[in-house]
Amino acid sequence: MSLSSILTLERTLCGAEGRSKKRVLETTCQFICQDVLSLDSEDLCDKISAREQLGSTGLGHGIAIPHCRIDNCSSITGALIKLEHPVDFDAIDGEAVDILFVLIVPDEAHDEHLAVLATLAKLFSDLDFCQQLRDAKTSQELFQIAINA
Amino acid sequence: MTIELMYQYIFGAASLALLCVVASVFTRRVGAPILLVFLVVGMLVGEDGPGGFKFDDFGLAFLLGNIALAIIIFDGGLGTQKDTFRVSLKPALSLATIGVLITAAITGYAVYWVLGLPWQEALLIGAIVGSTDAAAVFGLLRNAGFELKERTGATLEIESGSNDPMAIFLTITLVQILQAQGNGNEGWTIVNELFRQMGLGLAVGFTGGYLLVQLLKKLALPSSSYPLLALAGAISLFGLTTMWDGSGFLAIFIVGVMIGNTPLPYSNDIHRFHDGISWLSQIGMFLMLGLLVTPSNLLPIIVPAVAIAFVLIFVARPLAVVISLLPFRFPWREQVFIGWCGLRGAVPIILALFPSLAGLEHTQTYFDLVFFVVLVSLVLQGWTIAPMARWLGIDLPPTAKAAECLHLTIKHEQDKELLVYPVLAGSQAAGTKVKRLPVTEGSQIVGVIHRGILLHDIDQRKLSCDDQVIILATSSARTALGRVFAPAAHSSFNQDGRFFGEFALHPQAKISEIAQAYGFEVDANIAELTVKSYLAKKFHGKPVVGDYVKLGPVKLIVREIKGVTIESVGLKLNS
Repeated sequence: MSLSSILTLERTLCGAEGRSKKRVLETTCQFICQDVLSLDSEDLCDKISAREQLGSTGLGHGIAIPHCRIDNCSSITGALIKLEHPVDFDAIDGEAVDILFVLIVPDEAHDEHLAVLATLAKLFSDLDFCQQLRDAKTSQELFQIAINA
Repeated sequence: MTIELMYQYIFGAASLALLCVVASVFTRRVGAPILLVFLVVGMLVGEDGPGGFKFDDFGLAFLLGNIALAIIIFDGGLGTQKDTFRVSLKPALSLATIGVLITAAITGYAVYWVLGLPWQEALLIGAIVGSTDAAAVFGLLRNAGFELKERTGATLEIESGSNDPMAIFLTITLVQILQAQGNGNEGWTIVNELFRQMGLGLAVGFTGGYLLVQLLKKLALPSSSYPLLALAGAISLFGLTTMWDGSGFLAIFIVGVMIGNTPLPYSNDIHRFHDGISWLSQIGMFLMLGLLVTPSNLLPIIVPAVAIAFVLIFVARPLAVVISLLPFRFPWREQVFIGWCGLRGAVPIILALFPSLAGLEHTQTYFDLVFFVVLVSLVLQGWTIAPMARWLGIDLPPTAKAAECLHLTIKHEQDKELLVYPVLAGSQAAGTKVKRLPVTEGSQIVGVIHRGILLHDIDQRKLSCDDQVIILATSSARTALGRVFAPAAHSSFNQDGRFFGEFALHPQAKISEIAQAYGFEVDANIAELTVKSYLAKKFHGKPVVGDYVKLGPVKLIVREIKGVTIESVGLKLNS
């Protein structure tokens, strides 16, 4: 799977601000909803936070993959965010998170949801790939690295 | 013996030991059970091999074998953690008693059919090969390079440490019955003997263990003498128990567990010393048993011995495991593995010397037969334990190795130690602020040394790779600290096909909410449970790390357990 099928340049952001997990999730959701007009930012943020309540989506080594299912969403949608300052994300290894990949799937795409999520988890476990993302200076660069992986 | 011959013996024995130690490096690569190598080296040096050395003193072999076994079982006890008793004590004891009885009975029946011996003699052989060998199991499990789920690993270790008394008592009793045939009092003798062996073993083990622990705590000795005090004390208790016709092996195992689970000054020294000496005992014992056997005598009994070994491995042991574990409802994979791990080792060979020392007939056949059965078991089971564990999916990824640290015991403060950890690149500690280190109640950070200089005002300092952290810690804090300072290479994060799943779940999360988040249906009767209580229920209140349940398209895996409660659960997506 290539990330190009779910990620666009408009949903890639390098150097996002935010000092807490809550704040980062809020701004991230707003950022996504600027691009996907059918989504409501507050609703999305509630769903994402509800999933975080079950357990952090931080994978360790500074990476998190917040995700949720949502009804008024037509296709699997991804967004890649690199934070200016790492924030405490309650991750498995306790390390602060600076790279987020948000995954939003339509309510009915059960199996695809899990398959894509597993692929993402695997991709973001590659430390070299993550280092390349961290070295990116602009959103354009970040996007290129991501879709070429 | 002339003096010159003595020097030759010293040189011969020492170079054999040297050969065995060096050989252990190579066997680890081939995956061969190391004990088998010792045994084969012994046979090569022996009368039929190129060595041509003749050794057939059953009495001496029996004496040395007993001492070596006592030391190995003591070391096994030292390494047995009391926490593992939660899930494993009862099943292990069931295996060590009923299990041995069933194994002995079925194998005895096979001997009766194959060799056509009278039933008492057939049962005697069954009893001799009835026990799982502690030395073989400890050696294989702890050196296999993988970890077993606690339920399986601890059950096997406690079983093998405590089942020799049962086999020994069965053997002794049957020998006595054979000696005094026609007395008519056989049933009574058996019961009497059982209570004497077990009762004395328990009594001396617990009282002696308590006294020895007090001695180790109170006596002011040079540090190198503590391990010797422990060893001499334990073997004295072993000797005392056997003198009174009790089970010395049970006693010394209990003493080991008691010493191993008490915080003592120099407990590290005690462990290290006994690890070494227990290795030496294994080498010595298996070499000696290899020397003792006459391989050319084995040829005529190969066919019946293989038949008996197969009945033992494929029928008697698995059946005994299933029946003994019936009340404990172990997952079937773990039962299969425990059944396969019924390794036979030195105990049967040493027990096979019993009948001959007691002056019975056919004793050479006993010895050769038992020797061959052990050989088959070591080759077949010993060689395949690691692949078997992997195939059954009950092995765990190795946990982060505890970080190497300098370690000082504060004398007269038994549970406090001064630890000096170097901060290693890639460890969790590197880059962490000092005040965020997991220093639990009762522990204190003494200071940070940077390039040889003790720093002040360290609370806000981010640890870097040239730092060393000095901590005054309680013994309970050590595990957590070890994990933080462990080098990254050993940590299990971000490995391909993550064992514990992609994400972590809160143990308190509800099943219905997880089902909702990932869009699958669950039964109404589990929907309202928390992850923690659902897993606990699935594993009958005794979950262990690595236990998992499939739930719709995902898998819930127990990641961490503290005491008796689940602390952390993993979520694996593509199960």
